[in-house]
Amino acid sequence: MIYRHYNISKALSATICLFALIFTASTHAKATCENTVTQPGTQRKYSEAWGITFKGERHQASSNTSINADNAKLLKLQWAYGLSTQTPRSYPLVTEDTIFIGDGGYGLVALDKETGCTRWENTEIKDIESAIVAEEVDGNTVLIFAGRRSGVYAVDAKTGRQLWLNNSKVHPVPMYSGSPLAYQDKVFVPISSMEIALSFNPFYGCCTTSGGIVALDIRTGEQLWYTPTIEKSGSIVTGKHFWFVEKRGPSGAPVWSAPTLDEKRNLLYFGSGENYSKPATSTSDAIFAIDSETGKVVWVQQYTANDIYNLACDLSENHPNCPSHSGPDLDFGAPPVLSTLKSGNDIIIAGQKSGSVFGIDPDSGETIWSTGFGRGGKLGGVHWGIAVDPELEQAYIPISDIPTGQSDVPAAPGLYAISSADGSTQWSATLEKNCEEHSCWPGFSAAIISGPNIVVAGTIDGHLKIYRGTDGKLLWSHNTVVDLETVNHAPAKGGTFDAHGPMLAGNQLIVSSGYSSFGQWGGNTLLVFSVEEAAEK
Amino acid sequence: MINTDRLASHFRRAIATFIDLILTPLVGLLVMLVTGLLESAEAYSSLSTIAFRALTIGVIAYVVLNGWLLHTRGQTVGKALMGLVIVDTISGEKAPLWKLLLLRMWFFPLLLLLGIMPYGIIPIIDQAMIFTPSRRCLHDRLCGTSVINKAPGK
Repeated sequence: MIYRHYNISKALSATICLFALIFTASTHAKATCENTVTQPGTQRKYSEAWGITFKGERHQASSNTSINADNAKLLKLQWAYGLSTQTPRSYPLVTEDTIFIGDGGYGLVALDKETGCTRWENTEIKDIESAIVAEEVDGNTVLIFAGRRSGVYAVDAKTGRQLWLNNSKVHPVPMYSGSPLAYQDKVFVPISSMEIALSFNPFYGCCTTSGGIVALDIRTGEQLWYTPTIEKSGSIVTGKHFWFVEKRGPSGAPVWSAPTLDEKRNLLYFGSGENYSKPATSTSDAIFAIDSETGKVVWVQQYTANDIYNLACDLSENHPNCPSHSGPDLDFGAPPVLSTLKSGNDIIIAGQKSGSVFGIDPDSGETIWSTGFGRGGKLGGVHWGIAVDPELEQAYIPISDIPTGQSDVPAAPGLYAISSADGSTQWSATLEKNCEEHSCWPGFSAAIISGPNIVVAGTIDGHLKIYRGTDGKLLWSHNTVVDLETVNHAPAKGGTFDAHGPMLAGNQLIVSSGYSSFGQWGGNTLLVFSVEEAAEK
Repeated sequence: MINTDRLASHFRRAIATFIDLILTPLVGLLVMLVTGLLESAEAYSSLSTIAFRALTIGVIAYVVLNGWLLHTRGQTVGKALMGLVIVDTISGEKAPLWKLLLLRMWFFPLLLLLGIMPYGIIPIIDQAMIFTPSRRCLHDRLCGTSVINKAPGK
């Protein structure tokens, strides 16, 4: 009898040990650089910020990319890297020889630009979901980026060593979803909130936090100032449910995306999202301009009023945390872009999840023109980012229109080129659904990028496309939803294009494929295409 | 020492545990509502804060649900329904209240909490130890207690 007990006990112990081994085993593979200099070069950087330039145009001039309308059709896959997540959400910084990117769930990696081998890695920081940006600090190149929940990091670009981490929370549950902007001695960090998801819990009293922008000292990471989008958030008890749970407000107006810097006016521009709970504020779904030195609000222009929504409403309109008459959730998830017209005048161009696009006077915040495409919705309309080509004086507007509810307005997923000066439509490239699955949709949700007479955009159904800037002619299309061999020998397959979108750098086109946050197609490939005949600029 | 014939069977203990695992969270829900410990953003500021507050709710719920029964009869609700008693392993008598409360009251909340965290292996080990000859889970060993069938007529 005792023997039998011990046998069972041993069998259980063995099973437990096996499970423990399985859970702790790492599946990540890497190809370490050999016979090369492992320290990354940092002399040449192909972007200043998430928006390529501080103005957020998402446009690479011909001085920064050799890919153009003439050679785009010659693009070939140079190498692929298998990431550790099915929802890659980091935007790379590219230098003369290195691609720095967050490999979600694994760490920060510095990959050789030509071969994809790993120069160094920092596996301490696992939740990187922002762009990697850089600034020179006392003669050293410092990489700045955000971990979704863990905070804002500064890392030495040469070694990958962490210099500082700022996780001094401006409110209890910040979410660092947007990309920081590093400029001279400051780092500007957009702040969102986990409360949009915590509201799912019916026993949670929604909501008390506000979005905002925080400025940090680039040398130490210490907070210099914080500008919330809602003053005195959570100060009003608006009701109770289940006898005890207090509902509070106002709240929300999160800042999901990178700020845009106006060096001439010393202003930061950024967009805000919806309110999470009642009462509504005049600062939700708005474009802000704040002083980049002090954080003082200069002007706010709201485009959708009374938009109160949180994720509880997706469970049921009767959920205790879902406000009555909930709003359509029409954030400005895409950063506003500052562009200079041929007339010499500056203009801000901002796209909203409603599908509307606005031309705004940067001095006053007044709307100069407006236009719109498609039906919009919770996942766009304009979702992650537009691009503006200052040479063609054109803005490129990607429209997702992925179904997120009932709408009487027909969907119009596609790419639209408009005049930066007056918003008039120059051309359009609409997309047709070419597969039956519910999760298959042809629209453009991810941010896009433009180059010399080209626009590069990835579709929700996994196709990477390049259009000619002057007339919208499709020049190149590549299906990424395929299994691939990778330089780090990790199993990899592409999927939906979403989030930060493609990067143009030198003769390369770099993009992550896969995104499964809202039922889209997951994937884990980092793809590097190049035009062989083009000389590196 | 305890007569091994009186040790509770695996089946009865499993059912008793199952009953307690159902009842403790239900009472915990009421405790959570009344105290508001998991109602605000502050509660979710870090994993350790969530864990600490959830553990506190679980401990309060365990004591509210079982405190009187443990004090008077050395039983939880589940064990009472299954005719089981917790006793001191050395003396075989009803375990002292401080052991039943101060030591054991942490285990159910911890088991529930650990089950949803990366250390879920711990409750598996705890429960697996019931299959040892003394039929004592890890928490029994740490508390110096055993679970036996209630004596007839008691």
